[in-house]
Amino acid sequence: MKARFTLTKGSTQYRNYRISVWALLILIFLLIGFAFVDVGSISIGSNKYNLSLIRLNKAIAYGVAILGLQVVVGYTGQIALGQSFFFGMGAYIAAWLVADHSWPFLLTLLVVVPSCFLAGMIFGLPALRIKGLYLALLTFGLASIFPTIVKLDSLNVYTGGANGKLTGYKFKAPSWIPLDEIAQMLQNIPLLGPFFGDGPLSNREESRLWKYMLFAIIATICFWLISNLIKSRPGRAMRAIRDNETSAAVSGINLALTKTISFGVASALGGIGGAIYVAEVGIASPDDFSSLVAIYLIVGLVVGGVGTLEGAIIGGLVYALIPDWASSTQSVAFVPERWLQGPTGSLILGILLILLTLFMPGGISTALKKTKKKYIQIQNPSLK
Amino acid sequence: MDLFLQRLFDGLTNGSAYALIAVALVLIFKATTLINFAQGEQAMLGAFIVLQLWNWGLPMWIAVITGMLISGLLAGGLERAIIRRFDPADHLPLVIITLGLFLVLNAVAAIIWRYDPLAFPQLFPHGSALTIGNARLSWYSIFAFGSCILVLLLLHVLLNKTKIGLSFRAVSSNLESSRLCGIKVGPTLQFGWALAAAAGTFGASIYAANPVLQIEPSIMLRALIFSITAAALGGLDSLWGALLGGLTIGFIQSVLVQYIPFIPNEMTLAATVAVLLIVLTFRPSGFLGTKAVERV
Repeated sequence: MKARFTLTKGSTQYRNYRISVWALLILIFLLIGFAFVDVGSISIGSNKYNLSLIRLNKAIAYGVAILGLQVVVGYTGQIALGQSFFFGMGAYIAAWLVADHSWPFLLTLLVVVPSCFLAGMIFGLPALRIKGLYLALLTFGLASIFPTIVKLDSLNVYTGGANGKLTGYKFKAPSWIPLDEIAQMLQNIPLLGPFFGDGPLSNREESRLWKYMLFAIIATICFWLISNLIKSRPGRAMRAIRDNETSAAVSGINLALTKTISFGVASALGGIGGAIYVAEVGIASPDDFSSLVAIYLIVGLVVGGVGTLEGAIIGGLVYALIPDWASSTQSVAFVPERWLQGPTGSLILGILLILLTLFMPGGISTALKKTKKKYIQIQNPSLK
Repeated sequence: MDLFLQRLFDGLTNGSAYALIAVALVLIFKATTLINFAQGEQAMLGAFIVLQLWNWGLPMWIAVITGMLISGLLAGGLERAIIRRFDPADHLPLVIITLGLFLVLNAVAAIIWRYDPLAFPQLFPHGSALTIGNARLSWYSIFAFGSCILVLLLLHVLLNKTKIGLSFRAVSSNLESSRLCGIKVGPTLQFGWALAAAAGTFGASIYAANPVLQIEPSIMLRALIFSITAAALGGLDSLWGALLGGLTIGFIQSVLVQYIPFIPNEMTLAATVAVLLIVLTFRPSGFLGTKAVERV
């Protein structure tokens, strides 16, 4: 099969292609931000689907947490289902530092990352003895105890008990970013202008846009670091463990160290995701981190594609948007209304999970890559 | 002393219910070395079917048996349609499939019956059978425990004295060799799934028939963790171990946690997960399970 375009790695053409793809992505990202900052809904039939930045920000948070799952499940091959535990842990630490010690949000990451990393390593220790299904059991148990831990009376002072912990933190865009001016400029584009709302941005919209960009920057850094990790020596060790533990050990890989590091990295990412989540939502409440969330994160992992970094982004979007859209679907032809009320989102995610595992084991990102290969082929001269 | 006895009785009650779900988990583990995370939800759905049949006017025990048959058929269908397509040795896809089933079954039950708690038929006589001081042992506890033993005896006979039981044991001991002996592996595993679902439905019905409980779609969420731990504690491939594990978890929950001052009451779930951790780390074969030997 001949692709329509063939690019060689290292050539100018290839570089231009990379730069233009990245520029296009950033442009689309910014345009979406400005377009959906205030209204952001699409109407299909009589149903209205929200696409506001709140959901996209949540998608970023879930995406980072799913990235963690990619490291431990996708690349190291350990069936760990307990990501919601670390997601919640990061959220609660960030909320506690911001609310009780009035730290700025970004600084809390300095505590969230190491503490979640350590906790992940500690919980990774039993995984040295416990394998496969048993690990799935244990981590599922771990995920289900998180809400009961934060609801403990003795921790009430820190966690706010069943009511949750309000952060009360307001994001304020720095004045050197001309958000208002850009919005103005976009609104003046003929024909497309109305998509970007009208009038200057309110304070709330500005802070929302700022959060969107800030979270995206944090997430980009995480993705960049993980993509480097995967390509480097520890990453190759992880993949060797996934493919065959015994032969990895025989090849001189330190199983214990690699596994615990993989758990630590995954948990740290879960913590960052949780911190982003609580920064967006403004409250950490126990039921946002139940075992159901752990399963939803697995759904994101599988639907996006196990063992692909892009899959984490797709998975985050799926998790943030599909349950929400499902619950705002009020009428569909030929479906009785009764079936559209209740937890339809969970139903759809469950069905997606089963169907994708059956028919598209690589998830959406593998399918996208296949389509891309039809058009653009990248050759690596060093491999010839 | 009264309090202690009362807690012991409570432990017996809860433990029997956990044991019944654990039995279902063990049946599937024996057959396919798979932990069915959807087992609790399958059982919950089965109990709802029982409730619906009862509401339509069937006598309650007929409703229970019909419900068991229906959920057994459904589980057999699920096994044929989905589970059999996968390689039993590759765990990740199967775990993911059962998690998917977990979400779907939970959502279906919530869509059909909503989240309002509903009263379940009282399968057993009211009142207490035995009163020692202030401690009461209710008829419910006795019957729950009794039916747990009954189910295990029936399963024991089924697996050890019948043809299908023999092929089930053959498949669970060595899948490849039993295929070579001419055992139809697929239908046997399907039978295992159906049997497990029926046992689970029975367990959930008993659990929901507790006079202090009502049935609602999330009834098995917590119970699943307790049952998983019970199954692991008893040894994942041992039926009688499931009973032992269930009772142990029931007693840990109602007796031990109450008497250890530094564990707050709400920590029963966490204590259970800690037990799970200890068992899996130090004795993965549990009380009565077969020791796994790994060939390197």
